[in-house]
Amino acid sequence: MFIKNTWYVACSLEELEALGTRPLGRTICNEQMVFFRGPEGKVAAVEDFCPHRGAPLSLGKVCDGKLVCGYHGLEMGCEGKTVHMPGQRVRGFPAIKSYAVVERYGFVWVWPGDQAQADAALMPVFEFFDNPDWAYGGGLYHVKADYRLMIDNLMDLTHETYVHATSIGQPEIDETPCKTTVEGDQVILQRHMTGIQAPPFWQMAMSANGLDPQAQVDRWQICRFTPPSHIMIDVGVALAGHGGFDAAPEHKAYSVVVDFITPENETAHWYHWGMARQFKPEDAELTAKIREGQGKIFNEDMAMLQLQQANISKWPDRKLLLLNIDSGGVQSRRIIDRLLSQEQAPATPHPNDHTTGIPA
Amino acid sequence: MSTEDLTQTPLAADGVFEVHLAQRGETYQVSAAQSILRVLSDAGVDVPFACEQGVCGTCLTKVLAGQPDHWDMFLTPEEQAANDQMMICCSRSQTARLVLDI
Repeated sequence: MFIKNTWYVACSLEELEALGTRPLGRTICNEQMVFFRGPEGKVAAVEDFCPHRGAPLSLGKVCDGKLVCGYHGLEMGCEGKTVHMPGQRVRGFPAIKSYAVVERYGFVWVWPGDQAQADAALMPVFEFFDNPDWAYGGGLYHVKADYRLMIDNLMDLTHETYVHATSIGQPEIDETPCKTTVEGDQVILQRHMTGIQAPPFWQMAMSANGLDPQAQVDRWQICRFTPPSHIMIDVGVALAGHGGFDAAPEHKAYSVVVDFITPENETAHWYHWGMARQFKPEDAELTAKIREGQGKIFNEDMAMLQLQQANISKWPDRKLLLLNIDSGGVQSRRIIDRLLSQEQAPATPHPNDHTTGIPA
Repeated sequence: MSTEDLTQTPLAADGVFEVHLAQRGETYQVSAAQSILRVLSDAGVDVPFACEQGVCGTCLTKVLAGQPDHWDMFLTPEEQAANDQMMICCSRSQTARLVLDI
């Protein structure tokens, strides 16, 4: 079960463009979808199921804004209605599902649930996209693990010491307790380390920003979970004693780790990761370098999560531990569970309905 | 003896109507639970068909007399209103008798 009445990142616009005249097939929350550019150049999403013989439409191609089935040439329109079929009248063809789509921040966002409730006004807002003061670079991993395992991972960064020992990990992470707070539907987990040596990734970032990489620093990690599964993490280092997270820009190197986690099914997800930074936003080479480094680091998480999922799938009844470091993941899962039960619940009873349910 | 023209008589309450095949000179009864297509195929009359849900147009048949009750999604509303052709897989009759060009 997934929260479906919400916006998920389906793909980057870059990924869709790279396919040229081919559409993009992608399963999101168990809904098999196909994405393509319609006649006005707007991205559309319909079920990946040809109403003729059930062929996946994603194996077809896009011609003049129509999705042409790769099996017998049925032409599908953006609304899920067949617009043409060779030698055939199509007016009686049953429609297939179509999905609301928004193109924003360099991504295609999709609403997999009740289409009547789809509302672009409910899209999350991010200051660092389409903003010349910021640079963004990122990538996509298909991770064969429950998307909530990725939430656990990102809402508990003690794993950095072990999984990412050569890049962003350092023992001080383990030694510094973290604090978890819940504000409405947002979970915030933070850890502030003071007077430490920056780990290799941050030394690189300090050099790039004109700071002495060997200097003592204060380091912070502030993870923010918002439903359905977006996690933004303020990360950075500032020269020690300059105020940490609140230090003036010239004393720090910092960024926001951007994580859009989109469930594919119960044991796999699409992970759009990236980093937005405010230092040297015009430096494309630096963006590429950070992207490469981040990609390597997150690849280490992927390896861990996939084998963790394999273990859990093998022993589904085995009870796992939740420890003090897991509180961020625990709180995030609580919010997901609450929203899920709200979505599953029948329409809320009218407040003036005094029916008790007790037989007269 | 009745001289009533059944192609002008409204369908009876039980929904049963008869289909006369003009070329073959045969007449069949179609009950409320049957389709014209099924009755004809069961009787060995070779009629082309595919979707059996009024979509594909394969079983399009000319109507010579009587008034069809159109249930298909293949014909346009104008074509249906002309009452000179029908999809025998799903459409039925508004009159007690239909005469088809089969």
